[in-house]
Amino acid sequence: MNEEISRLMDGELEDDAAFERVVGGMKQSSAMATWVCYHAIGDSLRGECTVSTRVSRRLAVALANEPTVLAPQRRVDRPATWAWAAAATAAAVAVVGWTAVSLTDQGVSAVALAREAASVRPETLRGQVIPADYLYAHREFSPATPIQGISPLQRAVATDAPAR
Amino acid sequence: MTHPVRVPARARSALLAPLAAVTFAFAPHALAQDAKAMLDRAAGAARTLSYSGTIVYQRGAEVETARIVHINDAGDELEKLVNLDGPAREVIRNKGEVRCYYPDAKLVRVEPRTFRNAFPSLSPKQLESLGKYYTIKKGGTGRVAGLEAQSWQFVPRDGLRYGHEFWTDPASGMLLKARTINEGGEIVEQFAFSDVTLGIKADRDAARPTWAAMPQGWMEKQTKIGGGVIDDTGWNVTRMPPGFARIMEGRRRVRDNDGGLAQIVLSDGLVAVSVFIEARGGMQRNTGRARVGGINTYSVRQDDYMITALGEAPAEAVRLIATSVTRR
Repeated sequence: MNEEISRLMDGELEDDAAFERVVGGMKQSSAMATWVCYHAIGDSLRGECTVSTRVSRRLAVALANEPTVLAPQRRVDRPATWAWAAAATAAAVAVVGWTAVSLTDQGVSAVALAREAASVRPETLRGQVIPADYLYAHREFSPATPIQGISPLQRAVATDAPAR
Repeated sequence: MTHPVRVPARARSALLAPLAAVTFAFAPHALAQDAKAMLDRAAGAARTLSYSGTIVYQRGAEVETARIVHINDAGDELEKLVNLDGPAREVIRNKGEVRCYYPDAKLVRVEPRTFRNAFPSLSPKQLESLGKYYTIKKGGTGRVAGLEAQSWQFVPRDGLRYGHEFWTDPASGMLLKARTINEGGEIVEQFAFSDVTLGIKADRDAARPTWAAMPQGWMEKQTKIGGGVIDDTGWNVTRMPPGFARIMEGRRRVRDNDGGLAQIVLSDGLVAVSVFIEARGGMQRNTGRARVGGINTYSVRQDDYMITALGEAPAEAVRLIATSVTRR
């Protein structure tokens, strides 16, 4: 089940039967469903295609028909920017940031985006999306990683002892 | 009987700092070597010391705070980083493998060890370029996280790199604060310890995750880009800012893309720009520029490939690089 949700989020799950199975299963797991739903919303907000638009739309519709699933916890105490701080921060705060950005693809930042959807216009987000997996791949090699001190963790990760 | 004149330590360094700066201004290469030693020492300290503290990361008007514990137990590095604002997030690094826990999403993201042993060291040529393309200044001292820190400035001599300022603890070499500064003199990002304790007991328990390695009912995600091999990619970067040189070239595996990914890394000794060449396949990425903090990217399509330059350099530098990639 989890694997199918994962495939769904990676845009691999296009056939209808699998889709119905995943959505059906998610109704038993409200946390997961909420998360994936947010992911879909975030994707469309950003105009991204990690999950295909068709899947996003269908997913959003399917989940919209499931009220318990769709009711997100209200978090009004967050500044509107934290999602992007978390996602975009990547560049900066170490693995914290980097993995958060990496998750842009999978949707955690979309959770935040969805929470703030009312106050965030898509055009303000577009253009800020940078490929998270590239950030991670870059971090391994940049001399700035260990020396620039963006974060001790980031620095340490890249200066790790040689893999044996 | 004569008494030596006592000069307070702070006043001494205040007197000596400008003198040092003037002296070094006439010896750029020597200063570059000093700067290189400082950078090496900072990298070593972050790896070998056991410490805990609070890191404040700032990008524009946004601020994020995280608690860090780093343990070096007989050569094994363990690290725990917990963010203090925003959604809950905990990063555990254990001997190279990074696990990031997202309790809200019930997700563990795993970054396996990949190329770790390939981390390149600076060549003499790059050391030279440090002093050639940055004006290096050893500044005064100032307090950071309660410690008297030594400051260093790297001021770019052209518009194709950012400026950098570092503050280190003279005793341990540990980097306490770092800033990236753009062409307009604005701080594009800053990281600083607000408090830090260096040389704590190497207690592995302090760096353990709050949850099991793979909590029941959670989902695990692996990073999309996997390991690879150092190899000739068949691609060439024909234009890059002066002082940059190729430090790595290789091919990596990518989930969902049989074509894989070519990566070429260019560096001026202080920062780097990676060039990624990926077969487009079903992938859709935005073309053009993007920026987060001190990282800029520029993407262009070329035939069936997407070429992206990404690094700690201004937008113009990554654009220059991305638009000059050709097949060898």
